[in-house]
Amino acid sequence: MDNTTLLSEFEPKPTKQVIEYERQLFQARFSPCGKFLIASGYDATIQRWAVSGNETKRLSPCLGHHAWVPCLAFIPTTERIVSADSWGQIAVWQYADETPAPVWKNDAAHDGWVRAVAVSPDGQRIASGGNDRMLRIWSAADGKLLKEWPHPEKIFSLCFHPSGSSLVSGDLKGVIRDWDIDTATVRRELDARVLYQLDKIQECGGVRHLSFNHDGKRLACAGQKTPGGGFSTGFPCVLVFDWDDGQLLREMQMGKNDDGFAYDAIFHPAGFVMATSCAFPGKGFVWCWTPQSEKPFFESTSIPNGRSLSLHPDGRRIALLVSKSANGNGRVLVQGVYQGGSAQIHILEF
Amino acid sequence: MLGAAAAGGLGLGTFLQPCVADELAKNDKQVLLIWLDGGMSQLESWDPKPNTEFGGPFRAIPTSVPGIHVCELLKHTAKQMHHLAVLRSVCTQDNSHSAGVARINRGDPKNRGVEYPYLGSAVAKLLGPTSSGMPPYIWIKPNSGGFKASDAGFLGAKYGALALGDGKPPENLLLNKSISSEEDELRNELRRKFNDRYAVGRRTEWTDANSYVYELAQKLMKRDDLFDESSFTDKDRQRYGTHELGRHLLLARRTLETGVRFVKVNSYHWDSHGDNFNASESLISQFDQPFAALIEDLHQRSMLDNVLVIVMSEFGRTPKINSHVGRDHWPEAWSIAMAGAGIRKGVVVGKTNDQGTFVEDKPYDIGHLFHTWFKAMGVPPDKMEYDNQGQPLPVAHDDCGPIAELLV
Repeated sequence: MDNTTLLSEFEPKPTKQVIEYERQLFQARFSPCGKFLIASGYDATIQRWAVSGNETKRLSPCLGHHAWVPCLAFIPTTERIVSADSWGQIAVWQYADETPAPVWKNDAAHDGWVRAVAVSPDGQRIASGGNDRMLRIWSAADGKLLKEWPHPEKIFSLCFHPSGSSLVSGDLKGVIRDWDIDTATVRRELDARVLYQLDKIQECGGVRHLSFNHDGKRLACAGQKTPGGGFSTGFPCVLVFDWDDGQLLREMQMGKNDDGFAYDAIFHPAGFVMATSCAFPGKGFVWCWTPQSEKPFFESTSIPNGRSLSLHPDGRRIALLVSKSANGNGRVLVQGVYQGGSAQIHILEF
Repeated sequence: MLGAAAAGGLGLGTFLQPCVADELAKNDKQVLLIWLDGGMSQLESWDPKPNTEFGGPFRAIPTSVPGIHVCELLKHTAKQMHHLAVLRSVCTQDNSHSAGVARINRGDPKNRGVEYPYLGSAVAKLLGPTSSGMPPYIWIKPNSGGFKASDAGFLGAKYGALALGDGKPPENLLLNKSISSEEDELRNELRRKFNDRYAVGRRTEWTDANSYVYELAQKLMKRDDLFDESSFTDKDRQRYGTHELGRHLLLARRTLETGVRFVKVNSYHWDSHGDNFNASESLISQFDQPFAALIEDLHQRSMLDNVLVIVMSEFGRTPKINSHVGRDHWPEAWSIAMAGAGIRKGVVVGKTNDQGTFVEDKPYDIGHLFHTWFKAMGVPPDKMEYDNQGQPLPVAHDDCGPIAELLV
């Protein structure tokens, strides 16, 4: 399909449905069954909403994490999710329960910040990694450590190939590794170094997100091109690789060099990439881009500061999580109270 | 002898009460100021608030002092906490770099229509060189070096900083090998004659400064070993790190060992408005490792009782985490760390509230800290003032005083 046709069929349009949350969130995902929207936050909680038609109802959260929960993934064939926090805890939850308690948890799964978790396509194994430069494989059923090995750099992102044959890691320096889990060896590396920069004295950027398309022939990795220090300015960017030969198919660079990180990039079953970026308030894009095209067929700044995108199983609805937290120096009080940030989840439709 | 001559050259006796000047002349206290330009986050360093709204992702870790915790990014420094004092209730006035840098460096005295000196220049004036005869104020910084007179304010150019750009000696400092020492002395004799002739009828603070810089250069030329990086051991390089701040703090150790009165080490690019937590991981580790090594070394060399070490920025960073996952400028409640001469060991003074947003007990401004540091150095501020061409000026803010809990 050409861009005009794609736009006519797949233009994401905002609905009036906006879910407010009082703290900032990292990601919000529809469950595979489509009946739940699950989000993980800066407040050590996992928030849940029941989804029914155009209605959402907030449910009790999953409690038990100690700090930021940047990692969340559904476990296929179950009603379970795995989450991980910045103090090293990994937990698995029965997300559809009325009051979810951990099925299992490991308070010391890693030393410090867990940056990424991924679940194998058969739902049997969970991979995790983070600042401690260790890759660990866990039994999804009971949390038993199955395998571990050191990783050359801080791990920022992980995903399994849909065939289950590869675990893919993205790191701070922009290196993507294709791991053979059985032998804990690297089969090959893909070059995403444009997403990293040593700017003066600060190491900046990294591969912030990885995802395959449905048949595993394409790999998208998200981040920021020529990331800078300080204000952390750079171009939102998604790189799409041909998985078979490891060649870069498309560099999807968006906006200006202050439009922030592409924090999320997902493939639509029709083959295009949907991505979102976040920077200072009012900055950042949502865009849709097919790797065959030199330009996106859709781009919008009408809902800026996107942190994650999730496609509902119906293929029509999208949950766009955005950050709402003003920047500014010094004391800003509202009715005498110092304000923190919050989040909104916008429901879009094709 | 060189020290006495240099002290005379700086005119100690001309502006202080004689008895105080005599006392100060015996004072070999030294200062190391580590300036993290742009503003290090207090929440990711000295004042962690784990698992609170503004606490960020990191853990607090115990230190060598029971009951005191710091952010996990200070894992090496945590082991040296028994040497340190941290003031967690710093509350200052400016949330902009342009005003904040100068105000903090000058101690924010009352406005009397003059430009006050930065701390290094103030110490160079108040204490002069140590008995080593080395220059009183050396500034180790990235990029370019040279003589930086602007720090001196109304004190006059000669109290400025001799800046070692990237730790390197000033250009053409070292004597060209084709020139013998005898020839060099003849050159200097000729220069002094020219200077004397030029000085006739001109204001002495200008001509003095000009001559002073030459004198400084001559002293430094005799200490070219100071700049020989190859003489550092591999172990030292490993402990301090080979990155910029590591190299500069290792050079600062040597500079202090040679007897420089005041050493300032600047590190830039700490202004983490975006992606603060990854930035903090990258930056604070570059501070933590060499700083901990330096404190350990100063202690092992029995220098820490004599050297006042200060770590500060122009402000802290906002508790609020903005949409770009950054922290902005926050002068309302932040932390300054110190160690060494005259400073209590292993203490935290002051407290912020549970969220880390504001100071919970008594807030202290930079004026209190200048009083504290001058007292720690053995300078009694209540008995001293600058004489600015007849205008008496207090060395620190009139309405502030030293923070007793920080002092031995």
